[in-house]
Amino acid sequence: MPELPLEDVQGFVLRPYGRPALRVFLLRVESAPSAGRFLRSLVGGDASVPQLTSAAPWVTKPNFCINVGFTYAGLAALKLHPQTLASFPAEFVAGAVNRAARVGDVDESAPEHWKGGLADASRIHTLLFVFAQSDAILDNVSADLRTLFGKCPAFSEVSVQDGRALPGSVAHFGYRDGLSQPTVEGGPRPSVAEVLPTAPAGEFLLGYPSQYDSFTYPVPQPRELGHNGTFLAFRILAQNCAAFEKFLVSAATQTGLDPELIAAKLCGRWRSGVPLALSPQSADSFLPLEQYNAFDYAPTSELPNANDDRRGYRCPIGSHVRRMNPRHSLVAGNSGLKRRIMRRGLTYGPPYDPMNPDDGIERGLLGLFIGVSLKDQFEFLMSDWANKATFAPGLRDTRDPINGDNSGPGATFLIPVEGQPPLELVGLSRFVTCRGAAYCFLPGITALKYVAGVAGKG
Amino acid sequence: MAPTPPGSSSAAPQGVKSATVQQPLTLVMTIKSDNDYQALSALLTKIQSAPPEQNPIWKALTILNNVHFARFVFLEQNTKLAVITTYDGTFEDYINEFIDAIGDVFNALLAHMKDGPQLPVQQNRDQFLNYVRSNDLRAIEPFYSAYPKATVLDIKAALGQ
Repeated sequence: MPELPLEDVQGFVLRPYGRPALRVFLLRVESAPSAGRFLRSLVGGDASVPQLTSAAPWVTKPNFCINVGFTYAGLAALKLHPQTLASFPAEFVAGAVNRAARVGDVDESAPEHWKGGLADASRIHTLLFVFAQSDAILDNVSADLRTLFGKCPAFSEVSVQDGRALPGSVAHFGYRDGLSQPTVEGGPRPSVAEVLPTAPAGEFLLGYPSQYDSFTYPVPQPRELGHNGTFLAFRILAQNCAAFEKFLVSAATQTGLDPELIAAKLCGRWRSGVPLALSPQSADSFLPLEQYNAFDYAPTSELPNANDDRRGYRCPIGSHVRRMNPRHSLVAGNSGLKRRIMRRGLTYGPPYDPMNPDDGIERGLLGLFIGVSLKDQFEFLMSDWANKATFAPGLRDTRDPINGDNSGPGATFLIPVEGQPPLELVGLSRFVTCRGAAYCFLPGITALKYVAGVAGKG
Repeated sequence: MAPTPPGSSSAAPQGVKSATVQQPLTLVMTIKSDNDYQALSALLTKIQSAPPEQNPIWKALTILNNVHFARFVFLEQNTKLAVITTYDGTFEDYINEFIDAIGDVFNALLAHMKDGPQLPVQQNRDQFLNYVRSNDLRAIEPFYSAYPKATVLDIKAALGQ
């Protein structure tokens, strides 16, 4: 296994921080030289200044972690050379606004409705991520950072997006979240063990052999800038809890099934996180957490006794977790293990109160989706697996019931039943709406010094 | 590299666009010389006469599960080789999987082609994609399908496979 220079990789690429508070500063470069000085200070080793968090192992967990990403407009505003800018992949250059239709961000999810200044990609240059152990720590670090980047000024704030964990590690629809994360060769082990093959480093970091045969993704040039970097899709995803809960009740009436079983069939996991593949009849509360990922949809060398669920009788082929991570399911292109993403991020907004369903408060997920290729990983998941039905058998024209675009009339979800035609649930709507997005390059630490150096010269 | 819609380079006249999940690929490659034709002919004869489990084309297409039909045909007095297939979805989206499954066959074929992409295709993926795009004649639309919504996986599942 190759050694990865963990101290040169931004921490959240390879490790979850498990912090309950997140603040994302969406910043505009006001002065490249000042911005360069600020960025340099994040990696300067001065303990009196908040420091960027690398993926190097820590002895004691820090109270806060900081990471930074740049949009294409941001790299231009920081005065990177045109040749350097031209060496980035087309989808990153185009950015989230221009790629919106490809990933299903249309109609009410379309960029013209985005908030936080994200509709105007030319103004969003830098995303500064602060993960903290408490609100008080987050506020203290934020104050320090604002003083630093407000000097001269280096950056102005276009907006700030705050996330807060909900009790029980759940997301707003009530499912336990963040369970399945890829294990990267040379990186830290995940907290909930995986049974899937270890991902090659180059699936998540630039400069290493990728998941594809004899292929390393092109590294932005100079190499000092691209090496150990990667890409991130930032997304503000509003969740319509009232509509989702209403649909569960309606689907239960349609089918005679329990609403919690409907919820499990839509997701592929019970709301407790227990996978249907292991417990198709009940949310088995005795399954230890470390086994929540010990499943597949077909027998494999790691799990020779896994149930052969090729027809989706246990876990529907069109369910959310099976679409987003088909594991060893039969899928077009034999690509079920080659499109993985690292999922970070946190919920925002207060918990949903069923007694007050129409409280008018927006709640959802600040999604951070990381991979070496936005096009082949994040975008592919949304375009092919979430919003199409051609990649797996028997899906007709359905979409992902949770994060797919089900705004069209007649949106359907299919529950396969052995020996019978599938149950057809109708009445889905778009339960998750994109409220803003940005594509970022996450440089390595050496690369951040390079960016700071170029910007510093103005 | 500006994204090019599949088929945009095609010289074929375009009628009403069909809404099939299946797509036509009509890749017509120009062979360098008669000697190259002889080598290609020998190579394809050898590959295609092997039993399916030893035929790398057969094995690759079986793994991919998104190609309905595929055939190789020499055209124009053996100066061109056509690969004619019907596949599901968007070729570009699955280019990496296609190369991983069948790249070595294309490395062997493309070595004999005029104006071919840089080889091996595994390390020159965008060039290979561009080569396929610019040599794909697709079809005069509409592309007819008796079952426009059925993918390879749908059909195999319906057949109990």
